[in-house]
Amino acid sequence: MTYTMTQTPRGTEDFLPRDAERKRWVEETLRNLFWRWGYREIVTPTMEFYDAVSAGDAAGLARNLYRFFEREGDILALRPDMTTPIARVVATRLRGAAKPIRLCYHANVFRYAEPQAGRRREFYQSGVELVGSSSPLADAEVIALAVEALKAVGLKNFLVDIGHVDYFDGILQNSGLSAEQRRNLRTALLKKDYVALEELTAAYNLSQDDRELLLSLPHLRGGREVLHNAAERAKNPISQRAISNLTAIYDALEAFGLTDWVQVDLGMIKDIEYYTGMVLEAYTADMGFAIGTGGRYDNLIQQFGYWCPATGFALGIERIMLVLSRQGAWSAGPNLRILCLGLAQRPHLAWQTAERLRGQGFSVELAVDDLEEDKGLRYAAANGFRWVIKPVTEDRLLVWTEAVGWREEELERFPAALKGGGFGG
Amino acid sequence: MDKAAPLTIALPKGRLQKPVVDLLEQIGIDCSELREPSRKLIIPVPGTEWRFLLAKPADVPTYVEYGAADLGVVGKDILLESHKDVAELLDLGFGFCRLIVAVPETSGIKDVQDLDFNSRVATKFPRITTEFFSSQGIQAEVVHLNGSVELGPIVGLADAIVDITETGTTLVENGLIPIAEIAQITSRLIANRVSCKVKYQTIQGLVRRLREVLAKPVD
Repeated sequence: MTYTMTQTPRGTEDFLPRDAERKRWVEETLRNLFWRWGYREIVTPTMEFYDAVSAGDAAGLARNLYRFFEREGDILALRPDMTTPIARVVATRLRGAAKPIRLCYHANVFRYAEPQAGRRREFYQSGVELVGSSSPLADAEVIALAVEALKAVGLKNFLVDIGHVDYFDGILQNSGLSAEQRRNLRTALLKKDYVALEELTAAYNLSQDDRELLLSLPHLRGGREVLHNAAERAKNPISQRAISNLTAIYDALEAFGLTDWVQVDLGMIKDIEYYTGMVLEAYTADMGFAIGTGGRYDNLIQQFGYWCPATGFALGIERIMLVLSRQGAWSAGPNLRILCLGLAQRPHLAWQTAERLRGQGFSVELAVDDLEEDKGLRYAAANGFRWVIKPVTEDRLLVWTEAVGWREEELERFPAALKGGGFGG
Repeated sequence: MDKAAPLTIALPKGRLQKPVVDLLEQIGIDCSELREPSRKLIIPVPGTEWRFLLAKPADVPTYVEYGAADLGVVGKDILLESHKDVAELLDLGFGFCRLIVAVPETSGIKDVQDLDFNSRVATKFPRITTEFFSSQGIQAEVVHLNGSVELGPIVGLADAIVDITETGTTLVENGLIPIAEIAQITSRLIANRVSCKVKYQTIQGLVRRLREVLAKPVD
């Protein structure tokens, strides 16, 4: 056996049944929520043309693509996110559709980066895209849905930070700095390298106001007062427009009663370059990295030849799962697993009983290996079954639970066990 | 979720430990236990919900990036080499040294551009070295060593070294002269990106107090 036969590539992982069930539960919970908000699921290919998935993002995701050649010679890539493939679909197959369109997805994405600190090379995202509206109400809806999504999966202590890319851009464009100087400042803020931010603002030829403003960016965070403060400080028209846009979004979130979960953060800079307006980041005190990210990307779809505004977010499924484990917040749900013995002796009866119970929502395993009773019980204990049964007649069966042991019961009474009565254990 | 939030601060063992402790005591943090020789790796700060964690300097950015520590103190050299996604809050000023390229004095080389196109460079900082030489348009072969890098040129393992130097004494003793400075290094206060947000008040309070002390002229 070689390493490459028994291991999986770096940054990938197997989900064994317990974790696969948990993952499915998180995705189902989100899928139901998104559906209730009018978002319909979309599925796109795992691999795309390289040109398509690298559109609109020269420096962010494109560096970290898994690339390979197709037989015809075209370069293909595994999708690094779902937003870009959805932009492609909107610009082509959904071009004529009435807008706005609400789409959601649950998909694996791939980034060829060093696996560390919560980053994997293959990971799962669930998210939404609200396509075809420039309204701040569209952004507010997306933020509200991000909050509701994290509530729905049972996360505690989370916050969604919102910012706006134009606030910082307006300051830069108004500053009289060269393109390279602006890029350096942007990188410093993106990397949260506040020492470099101090050094650069000291070295560059900036007005005192601009210098103080740039240095205050990491501290422009909080509630509505931050918006007032930020509007006072940056008088250029681009930053002003950004603040009035963000204020309209915040007003809506206040009307929805969600501002307890939302915080303004104007020092937030994103590493993905397609964002053009509001940006968001979700996080919790129980984990060192963000659990969700998103924002408005009005020019991405245009890369595919059709201008259409859009906004959305993606949540990291593994990260949500990790936080739920840390917070001890997994709702176990009722254990509905039954092991049914006696298949070899009376196949028809065992089959019939199993089918009836399956029809009532139980999970019933038939013992195909003709287990002796004690062997059956050992197998059941090792695998977390709540009941072991052995059909006696069409209507009666022997039931074993850990608390009570064996007893004979009527099949009719089984559904009662769901509500906590009946068989005990 | 703030106001005197509990904090875990990763401190580097070794040459930076004493100046860090001095600085923290100046802002009124009880570090008496850090001064006593001990094998303890986790040291609570009396009367607070804060604690220190003593780590190998190169591991400090890792603890902070994962959020196992909210804050950390580490040299900029290690920060540059580790490429970790952490916030860099403050230049603490102490631990000053220079990251330099040095060659044997006998080689007669005065500039990195004079190095042969296939030169070997020994260093503890392979990433910084690779980035520096590519930025100079030089294709050097980087040889990763874990210490005593000065040995490299003496025994013919390398033509040049990239290392940190405080006074230059070690270089001179080994017949080496610096030909380029890559960066000036001081120690930095770093923070986990999420801690910066959820423990904003506490961390900013600490940063403010440190700034006040650092701004005071040295007696």
